[in-house]
Amino acid sequence: MIRKWIAKRGCPFPLIRKGAGMSTVGIIANPASGKDIRRLVAYATVFDNIEKVNIVRRVLLGMEAVGVKRVLFMPDYFGIARQALDGLTGQDSLKMEVDYLDIPLTGGQEDSLAAAKLLAEYQVGCIVTLGGDGTNRIVAKGCGDIPLLPISTGTNNVFPTMIEGTIAGLAAGLVATGKVAREVATARMKKIVILLNGREADLALVDAVVLEEQFIGSRAIWDKGKIKKIVATRGEAANIGIASIVGGLHPLPPNDPHGIVVELGPAKTKVLAALGPGLIRTVSVVDYRLLNAGDTVAVDTAPCVIAVDGERELEVGLRDRVELQLRSDGPVVVDIKRTVDAAAQQGLFRLT
Amino acid sequence: MTLSKERLLELYKKMVTIRQFEENAAELFANGEIPGFVHLYIGEEATAVGVMANLEAGDYIASTHRGHGHLIARGGDVKLMYAELFGRKTGYCKGKGGSMHIADMSLGFLGANGIVGAGLPLAAGAAFACKYRGDNGVAVCFFGDGASNRGTLHEALNLASIWKLPAIFVCENNMYGISMRQEHHQNIKDVADRASAYGIPGISVDGNDLFAVYEAAEEAVKRARQGDGPTLIECKTYRWRGHFEGDPTVYRTDEELEAWKKKDPIKRVKKRLLDMGVFTEEEDMAIWEEVKKEIQEGIEFAKNSPLPDEADLLEDVYCD
Repeated sequence: MIRKWIAKRGCPFPLIRKGAGMSTVGIIANPASGKDIRRLVAYATVFDNIEKVNIVRRVLLGMEAVGVKRVLFMPDYFGIARQALDGLTGQDSLKMEVDYLDIPLTGGQEDSLAAAKLLAEYQVGCIVTLGGDGTNRIVAKGCGDIPLLPISTGTNNVFPTMIEGTIAGLAAGLVATGKVAREVATARMKKIVILLNGREADLALVDAVVLEEQFIGSRAIWDKGKIKKIVATRGEAANIGIASIVGGLHPLPPNDPHGIVVELGPAKTKVLAALGPGLIRTVSVVDYRLLNAGDTVAVDTAPCVIAVDGERELEVGLRDRVELQLRSDGPVVVDIKRTVDAAAQQGLFRLT
Repeated sequence: MTLSKERLLELYKKMVTIRQFEENAAELFANGEIPGFVHLYIGEEATAVGVMANLEAGDYIASTHRGHGHLIARGGDVKLMYAELFGRKTGYCKGKGGSMHIADMSLGFLGANGIVGAGLPLAAGAAFACKYRGDNGVAVCFFGDGASNRGTLHEALNLASIWKLPAIFVCENNMYGISMRQEHHQNIKDVADRASAYGIPGISVDGNDLFAVYEAAEEAVKRARQGDGPTLIECKTYRWRGHFEGDPTVYRTDEELEAWKKKDPIKRVKKRLLDMGVFTEEEDMAIWEEVKKEIQEGIEFAKNSPLPDEADLLEDVYCD
């Protein structure tokens, strides 16, 4: 379909090559985000894939306006890329080269991971993600030091930004083409590594939570009584989810080098937190302390479930040993506002 | 969600019972001992058990042509089920219905259904009855991805939505409408997306994960009983057998089947129960042996039951 689309416009279709590099952007759009149980237990909306298609169109147009020459898409079961391109055949037809990454399509998290690894191998200038914290967590496992530009399309999103796709496209393009220097446009984030029986089992970009739960089940967290311990890279009362508990207790911005560990249980300290959309709860905090990079927190509840970035992910058995470690080598992320402001200050938008 | 050891073992045993019931049904059908058609539920056990575990006496269920698992999960009697499959007088429909018409009104089980998507308006009607009577009951409708294209879905969800009926619509999306892959019969991948057209919540869950289904159903039933209206739950799953027994399944690959077998819903529950110390390997084997005995007793009961005779021909056909 894409090849036909390009061919019709007389644009030669190149093979994906290593070192695609600057002026090439990768797009990972997760068709599965926005349909979880928080539509029942909270007041989250269904974020349908047609809207993701529209966002991708706006991202593409923004990128092309600042000189992006190639885009590499993660293929997906819904065909977000295909449909986005099908809608850009009229007056706003794209001139950039477009291709799909050659990865086996499973319909699961593996797709995002495989796509991120391949985009890192090709050394693209930027990776745009559409999804929630969960999508970005998976991408962060494989993208190395390629700058990420995460657009929020999930539910409880702390890591990605709720931003108009056009502006996100401009920012991604400015970074990928080198028009705004990476030192200005990006910052390295913290992360939390989950160590299961001594080996790295998973990571979290925002928070890892110990839940007195039996199962992963429907993945989301909405019962405050199940939360026993939080290890977080940031605390933002203006956000939704676990970050709001931490933020209400001890605000911790992403550029602060510290992390934090919070113990929950019956106590005098109460925090009002927005656990989910429309789900505001009072949480009791026993204690908290700041963490330095490299610090490790032992999990002393078993069996339990570990949630990462708002999703139950790891079932811990009676004989398992789990530790949560703060690290400073998280993904490199584009600061959209700073990037676009820098471009404006450089006069890049003044054409005459 | 916290489930007691007894409850966990009860749910697990139901999944094992469905598996063994269906495996034996496949063998009996292949041997020519069961007349008619059977559509088997192997691979989808978590969906039926996860949903039914949240229902109470007085609730209603509209099932499908692939309905054995639903009835077993609801507490149906495997002896009466086998007897019906064998066409015996002791069966649920006195041997006149077969696999696709098994019903048990004592369990609120409105019946399997030979017509695709026909359970949807039945469930909407049952939910209306619950609301009209004010008895706090709910109605659940199972249907497939193929059925989600039928007009009955629109009618049922629309009415359920505007009247805020206590209904839970459970789409068992097993990727195929008979032999047609989902992408060939509808232009969406998540049937849950359709909920927004009716102004009701729609969620997608892993239909092979007992606890994901359980939690989703628990919350949907809670909403329904509290008067918050209907919910659409899409359970992504896969049937291991063909659409019907005898189906050569030329429309799918062995690799696809094997990939889904790796997501066996029963093995997933077993692993977690072992990790949690709920049971041991030996206790698990004992459950399989216990179920095997119950299944064999059911088959023996059916085989030893009489066929309907000429005098039964017009009985239960017309209302007296």
